Amino acid sequence: MTSTTTRKFHKDRGLVTRMYFTMFMLGILYAVFALFLLGAGTPLIFVAPIVGIMIVVQYYMSDKLILMSTGAKEVSAEQQPELHRMVKLLADRYGMPMPRVAIIDTAIPNAFATGRNPKNALVAVTTGIQQRLSERELQAVIGHELAHVANRDMRVLAIANFLVTLTSFLMTMLFWNMLFGGMGGRRSNNGGGMMMVYLVTIIVYFIGQLLVLALTRYREYGADHTGAEISGDPGALADALEKISGTVAGIPDKDLRKLQTANAFLIIPAALKGQGSMNLFSTHPPLQERVKRLRELEARMRYGLR
Amino acid sequence: MGIFGGSKTPKNDWSAMSTVIKAEAKLQALGEITPARRAGVIYRNDDENGFLKDIDRELNTILYVGQGATKTAFEIEDDDRGMRWIVLEDGNFNDLVSSVYTVGNAISANDASENLLAAVFELYFTGTVEDNTYRSGLRTYWIYRYDRKTFYPFVPTGESEGERDRPTEARMGHDLRKHGLAVEKSLTEWMGLWGIPF
Repeated sequence: MTSTTTRKFHKDRGLVTRMYFTMFMLGILYAVFALFLLGAGTPLIFVAPIVGIMIVVQYYMSDKLILMSTGAKEVSAEQQPELHRMVKLLADRYGMPMPRVAIIDTAIPNAFATGRNPKNALVAVTTGIQQRLSERELQAVIGHELAHVANRDMRVLAIANFLVTLTSFLMTMLFWNMLFGGMGGRRSNNGGGMMMVYLVTIIVYFIGQLLVLALTRYREYGADHTGAEISGDPGALADALEKISGTVAGIPDKDLRKLQTANAFLIIPAALKGQGSMNLFSTHPPLQERVKRLRELEARMRYGLR
Repeated sequence: MGIFGGSKTPKNDWSAMSTVIKAEAKLQALGEITPARRAGVIYRNDDENGFLKDIDRELNTILYVGQGATKTAFEIEDDDRGMRWIVLEDGNFNDLVSSVYTVGNAISANDASENLLAAVFELYFTGTVEDNTYRSGLRTYWIYRYDRKTFYPFVPTGESEGERDRPTEARMGHDLRKHGLAVEKSLTEWMGLWGIPF
């Protein structure tokens, strides 16, 4: 690990320990699964490079993909002087170059950051969040998003997601393969062996998914923590989270008519569901827990407790 | 939630619908709502069902013939998602609510209660939510779900799925409950209806 000027989670040892332990477990899971696939003599391991390429493309293009898929428009310092000033101030505190700034024209309050490293970072806020939050709260939200960039969360999750995406691809492939009795493989696979590979893949998928969720959760707490250290005001982010999403997060996107027209079943690999950015209101961890931790941190900072 | 009021779920459609009349009257007195004239009932059409097949003629009879008929104007529209809307229009809000109830009731009485999805009332909000005062009126819908017998506010901000003003809806839901409307407690059930034909 090279040392960087950016801050890490050094103040919360428990969190750091749990995070590295999760990453370690993921690594082991990777290795065991790779060995298993090789041992089972499956030609399926050729899928790995394909998924790898997909993830790399997504990783390098994430900022463009996000701009495209959310309709975010990059804004200049002339167009949004206040926002630029705020981002600049925070970026300086993190010791990172000024990221690009974008705005999404929607009433839904949200914010996110993306970019594989601080040099290629982009931070976006919606017009809804700009309208609803005070300057202090918006600053806390941007601080949280920049913390994701500083902590290189996009990279960590891209790597972690690799296994989950790979297994979800394999699951789909094996499923269809078994359904239609193999794609003319000369080495007549015995059905039992295939079933075994399928079952192991499913198990690896679920364990991988759980580990990635745990990791996302730790990165989220980490960003809350880092953001709070930088701003020195953990309460501001807690206020912002409560103000915006305490009640709002549960209101769905779904159209009521979908209750009457049953959906065809779809298998969407995790990689295709627009990852590659850290959203302010990702469903993990639960909001109440984040607010609680921020309030505790606020109390500790205020009374000088460690 | 508190012990007093707002915590009971209506047992039938009429007791739920009557909370609309109450809440609308209170809010209008407070100057937070301007009377709306339109409402709709949305259901999945089924031509196998004789009543639904002949809905135009049936509704003419139900809404226009006999004593106490509300004589509410109605139109039938099919949306692009395979659903049929009965769009009702009446200058008298009480009559409008009672016609909506009557239409829904007639549909469920004719073996199509499973087809009924929702009733929707259009209301213009003229109060203040989150520091925004809507003097010229913010178009809102109160959606009633037949399966849950509860209402929730819906403020679309666009035509596509997911485009809605959640914070405003959340605040309104809170206020509407205070004024006696049977508001759905589980926010995850507040599903939208994009492209309402009125």
